[in-house]
Amino acid sequence: KVGSVAVEDQPDVSAVLSAYNQQGDPTMYEEYYSGLKHFIECSLDCHRAELSQLFYPLFVHMYLELVYNQHENEAKSFFEKFHGDQECYYQDDLRVLSSLTKKEHMKGNETMLDFRTSKFVLRISRDSYQLLKRHLQEKQNNQIWNIVQEHLYIDIFDGMPRSKQQIDAMVGSLAGEAKREANKSKVFFGLLKEPEIEVPLDDEDEEGENEEGKPKKKKPKKDSIGSKSKKQDPNAPPQNRIPLPELKDSDKLDKIMNMKETTKRVRLGPDCLPSICFYTFLNAYQGLTAVDVTDDVTDDSSLIAGGFADSTVRVWSVTPKKLRSVKQAADLSLIDKESDDVLERIMDEKTASELKILYGHSGPVYGASFSPDRNYLLSSSEDGTVRLWSLQTFTCLVGYKGHNYPVWDTQFSPYGYYFVSGGHDRVARLWATDHYQPLRIFAGHLADVNCTRFHPNSNYVATGSADRTVRLWDVLNGNCVRIFTGHKGPIHSLTFSPNGRFLATGATDGRVLLWDIGHGLMVGELKGHTDTVCSLRFSRDGEILASGSMDNTVRLWDAVKAFEDLETDDFTTATGHINLPENSQELLLGTYMTKSTPVVHLHFTRRNLVLAAGAYSP
Amino acid sequence: MESGKMAPPKNAPRDALVMAQILKDMGITEYEPRVINQMLEFAFRYVTTILDDAKIYSSHAKKPNVDADDVRLAIQCRADQSFTSPPPRDFLLDIARQKNQTPLPLIKPYAGPRLPPDRYCLTAPNYRLKSLIKKGPNQGRLVPRLSVGAVSSRPSTPTVVPATTAVQNVLINPSIIGPKNILITNMVSSQNMPNESNPLKRKHEDDDDNDTM
Repeated sequence: KVGSVAVEDQPDVSAVLSAYNQQGDPTMYEEYYSGLKHFIECSLDCHRAELSQLFYPLFVHMYLELVYNQHENEAKSFFEKFHGDQECYYQDDLRVLSSLTKKEHMKGNETMLDFRTSKFVLRISRDSYQLLKRHLQEKQNNQIWNIVQEHLYIDIFDGMPRSKQQIDAMVGSLAGEAKREANKSKVFFGLLKEPEIEVPLDDEDEEGENEEGKPKKKKPKKDSIGSKSKKQDPNAPPQNRIPLPELKDSDKLDKIMNMKETTKRVRLGPDCLPSICFYTFLNAYQGLTAVDVTDDVTDDSSLIAGGFADSTVRVWSVTPKKLRSVKQAADLSLIDKESDDVLERIMDEKTASELKILYGHSGPVYGASFSPDRNYLLSSSEDGTVRLWSLQTFTCLVGYKGHNYPVWDTQFSPYGYYFVSGGHDRVARLWATDHYQPLRIFAGHLADVNCTRFHPNSNYVATGSADRTVRLWDVLNGNCVRIFTGHKGPIHSLTFSPNGRFLATGATDGRVLLWDIGHGLMVGELKGHTDTVCSLRFSRDGEILASGSMDNTVRLWDAVKAFEDLETDDFTTATGHINLPENSQELLLGTYMTKSTPVVHLHFTRRNLVLAAGAYSP
Repeated sequence: MESGKMAPPKNAPRDALVMAQILKDMGITEYEPRVINQMLEFAFRYVTTILDDAKIYSSHAKKPNVDADDVRLAIQCRADQSFTSPPPRDFLLDIARQKNQTPLPLIKPYAGPRLPPDRYCLTAPNYRLKSLIKKGPNQGRLVPRLSVGAVSSRPSTPTVVPATTAVQNVLINPSIIGPKNILITNMVSSQNMPNESNPLKRKHEDDDDNDTM
């Protein structure tokens, strides 16, 4: 049995590590492992796939135990003998493991420490588990049984054992799969109700979704998300679940414009693909590290921000309208505040230019995000800060310090005011622009948080991490409500569908995975890219999913078809068994190649034109 | 500056070949050639720092030779200083639990730009104009502590010009200050008397200033 350890108040690394006290004779480890291997290979076909899941965590834990107890030679030979048996998608981890040969190495490696302290989750059917237990509890295999109890969490389910294919789809993350109960809590994935706005009666007056039309004009009701009389969507969060900023007049005008644009929107589908307008950054010499594109008031989007490795953020205007900054205080006091075009007059014509450069960061800028009202720009950098820039004066307003390590991504909430950032310290933080400290800390990932996105209703945040899981967090109380495993590489892109029900994720393994948030299941897999998928976006009505990758292509997928016919019967939700159809080819609507330009960002304008951006890197 | 490339030529120094092998073992197959040089420089600097420290520790312990324990101690001490790693997971879970217990603050209506208190923003000038009217040999010395990006930042809403200690009349002793500084002081003094100089000219001076600083 493991000796008891006095745990001190401060999290002490050595206390954690000493759980690896000597469990057995080091020279026998190879025998134990071989014995287990032999047993599993001789077991029935139906159980073999499930039991094979044990190999990897056992291998790692036994190896780390040998290293910790300073049996270097045994550790090396153990590694040599068995590392080739592991699944191919664990190769990266094994490479890192091979460099840990001494006890001292372990202390510095946070990811390995986390791996050890968190239990690796395996999902095995009851039959297979009984088989395993019986075998391991025999005298000579007690050793492995101890390790299993200590470091693995076996989530047992009743039912048919899973096939290799089903298992392969779900495994791959650093902590095994997700426990069933991790994905059971209720998630309000519906959208918030649109506020009612009086649409001014002009000639192009068509009804958007939730408005009070001018009286006495009968408008055709659209059969969509809701008029005033419809009852609350049971899946939508209550309006005041989290405090949201109220609409200002300028926001209302935006919404009206939005609705007008919506009517002019092109309906996309397999026979009507969007046009793609690509913005190429030239002469960036691999220095382009972040891009964001914003919607403008009229027509198509008008500002592009690029974050660069030279610590600058550059903002371009891509319409003929140039960027102007507000006049100095002295001049502002001279203008007539009552005039109609006061918003034009406060702008200083002499500062008009197409490009504005924002200086302030002291490290490469890895994340950029425009605010929905286009007044602010956020940028996150390797220097550990997130900076808020004003797009009216083009100067920096606030620096939010909290992560002390590179911040890989940041995003404004769809309603403004809140923003989320995720970085190397393995947490994501929720901030509000008027608080200098974070409001929520989302801790739980085992490795860097690469990507953070808000749900369209602003009540949830999704984070994708280098530990190959995607987690969904509740903004209200910081709890992790969903864990999605299945990717075989660090996740670099995330996007929610416009109806809030689905999540698409892309990782370095080149696959795009589709998840149903309500049920917590994987519902689709899109294979096709050959390199990291670094940008994803759904079209405005959710019919098309666009994915951009480091393999210099943009691919369009049929989202409507991918999400229809979901099997969501009780068996599936209870056990998480999925049978993914191999339909990537049918869902692929088009592949568009660029000339040596990885596609870093994708954006659908209100009229469903695709804007893509990347830096030319021959 | 293309990515990717071949291993160093056969007649490269042995260290370079070893470094290339290490990179290969860690799975890095594409790298610019200068990466090897940078890694070697880093390795050299790190090792010499550690060994220097180890020598100090060993002489402190009055040992005749440097041994493995000294090196181990040196590595540990340096690791805490330079290669800090992010906090351990249970610590993060703890502070997260604490932070997540407080309810989300309500949002005040009609608040204009929602920014933290001024103390935490970067919107205030970060330099102070020192009065020159002072006895002593330091007459004529100005202390403009300018930093990049903060010189002429003003929030979008028109604010009162910051009420710093207004320098009414800046005395300049031309013999001490060079011509450039006269420009600065002119600019600076005019910032406190906004109606006097052309805003465009002032902005231009600012940019000019930043170049030389």
